[in-house]
Amino acid sequence: MTGSKISKRYAKALLSLGQEDGNYGEYGENLKEFAGLCTDNPEFSKVIGNPVFSVEDRKKVLNAVLEESAFADLVKNFLRLLLDKNRIGGVEDVSAYYTQLTDEISNIIRAEIVTARPLKDEVMDKLDVVLSKITSKTVKAKVEEDESLIGGLVVKIGDLVLDGSVRAQLEGLKESLKRGENN
Amino acid sequence: MIRFTGKKGQASLILGMALLFLITLCGFAFASGGGGNSHDQMLNLFYRILNFTLLVIILVVVVKKTSMLRFFGERRDEIKEKLEALAKERQTAESRSRELETKLGEFEVQKKEILEQFRAEGAKEKALIITEARERAAQLISQADHTIEREIQGATERLKQEVVEMAALRAEEIIAKGINDSDQDHLVDEFIKSVEKLH
Repeated sequence: MTGSKISKRYAKALLSLGQEDGNYGEYGENLKEFAGLCTDNPEFSKVIGNPVFSVEDRKKVLNAVLEESAFADLVKNFLRLLLDKNRIGGVEDVSAYYTQLTDEISNIIRAEIVTARPLKDEVMDKLDVVLSKITSKTVKAKVEEDESLIGGLVVKIGDLVLDGSVRAQLEGLKESLKRGENN
Repeated sequence: MIRFTGKKGQASLILGMALLFLITLCGFAFASGGGGNSHDQMLNLFYRILNFTLLVIILVVVVKKTSMLRFFGERRDEIKEKLEALAKERQTAESRSRELETKLGEFEVQKKEILEQFRAEGAKEKALIITEARERAAQLISQADHTIEREIQGATERLKQEVVEMAALRAEEIIAKGINDSDQDHLVDEFIKSVEKLH
């Protein structure tokens, strides 16, 4: 909880700077790219986040990576600051919250679509339209496949879950039968 | 000096006089009978009478002077008192006996009453125990009936759940085997329509 609160503070600080110079979108992308790098390379993440090594040594490693990157200078300095403050291990949380904040600014909402079979493009377009209508926001959907749904799909938007899967219908039918609701 | 007072004294005096009269009469009779040595015989008789009279006087004096009469009188009174006391005690004992007999009779009555009461209470208790036992038996039977009913309901419900689970599993297998892209498109269209209705 405390770590999450601190991550939010750092994310808000970076966003504030990004809004001032108008590059908050680029900063968000840089941050997401670095968080993805940490996720894909856990050893690198362990080295720069391990307090057993000195700050100077860890900073050398970080700088070596940042010099090879095309990140904005502000983002590079932000990452160095996280390392100085021993918060570099929470960069993924910072990135996630930063994305959430930028989505709110851009009136974007993230949706997770789980489908039993691949969805056609025209179906995806229809879904974007209808989900945008009910949320009054631009929907950015991430699609995953899950055969256990049997058929249909499930859409999760924040706390809202819209379940149109065959599995859910079967579960509903099963519960009705168990309760003795035959009609 | 000898005094003859009271009834006893008079009686003694009369007795003494009668005795003296009889002796004198006997002397005259003996004298009128005649004989040779009448003077000696009269003297002998006189001595004997005198001797006897002295003996009587001595006896009377001795009796008077000693406490023999008083002793016998006291003894008589004592015996009389004892007899009276014994009579009273006898009366008391008889009274006590009658009282005890009365009480014994009362006890017999009480005994009968107590026995009757105990018998009545015993009968009442018996009836109560039987009634309670019957009620308890009825309750146990009722509880057993309810338990059986619940068990049957539970078993029916469990069986129903199992049947539903198996039917759902079987339905899932059939649907999973039979579903195709067209069905998926139809399901997605239905989903989109239902979501549109939310707006």
